[in-house]
Amino acid sequence: MAANLANIAGSRANPSTLLPLELIDKCIGSRIHAILRSNKEIVGTLLGFDDYVNMVLDDVREYETTAEGRRVNKLERILLNGSNIVMLVPGGEGPEGAAA
Amino acid sequence: MAAPPRTNPSDFLKELAGRPVVVKLNSGVDYRGLLSCLDGYMNIALEQTEEYVNGQLKKKYGDAFIRGNNVLYISGSRTRK
Amino acid sequence: MATSEGAGDHVQEATVEEPLDLVRLCLDEKIYVKMRHDRELTGTLFAYDQHLNMILGDVHETITVTEVDSETYEEMYKETKRTIPMLFVRGDGVILISPPTRA
Repeated sequence: MAANLANIAGSRANPSTLLPLELIDKCIGSRIHAILRSNKEIVGTLLGFDDYVNMVLDDVREYETTAEGRRVNKLERILLNGSNIVMLVPGGEGPEGAAA
Repeated sequence: MAAPPRTNPSDFLKELAGRPVVVKLNSGVDYRGLLSCLDGYMNIALEQTEEYVNGQLKKKYGDAFIRGNNVLYISGSRTRK
Repeated sequence: MATSEGAGDHVQEATVEEPLDLVRLCLDEKIYVKMRHDRELTGTLFAYDQHLNMILGDVHETITVTEVDSETYEEMYKETKRTIPMLFVRGDGVILISPPTRA
């Protein structure tokens, strides 16, 4: 996955001309992993987004990490409010993948 | 497998109008009800609203206005209780 | 909406086209307001703006404090109530507003 991202960035003469949201645009149709404020993470297939990075996600898994452990909630399709997003990870293996 | 068509937030919201939805707030509280309307701040008006705290029904409201800054996500709900 | 400028200003239509219309329809009515930090208010809505700043009259406030018993881990809810004749509410603390349930 990291190699793919490097290719996307490297396909331009100047890598800095790839705007952050252009990268997200290239993730449409793929799984994406959103790390939110407040110990929550969301993984889903990115269907679209707007200027605020509000995102429509499909086949969603919502992970909540608490002192007791990790709770998982499955959802069909959601509109995620962009204001709570801290980071986006293209590829979207979720917290399990990151820990492995 | 055919890729699903691009659906931006405004497209998705058009699909949801008048339908049963789940609105989850940052606090973890869920609201289930019929989506009356919504604006650019994600302020939401719901009808026949039910408030769920930790999955348990706590309260019902005829109509409810939810201030958008509290909203984590909005989801369509097939399983209307 | 009416095409002529200002024609709709004095007509308060009973339609909800945007969420704030729901609040407009609550003017001079008793409303319930759920606030952050487990505060709840009921009172008469005299005024509001786009931020949901509000002026409420004859307000009953309920503050709920959750205490967890350190030995039994039982949750205890402690409610404090008070009444306030006139109150300005800053909008950023508002979570939910509900009109009175009409029977």
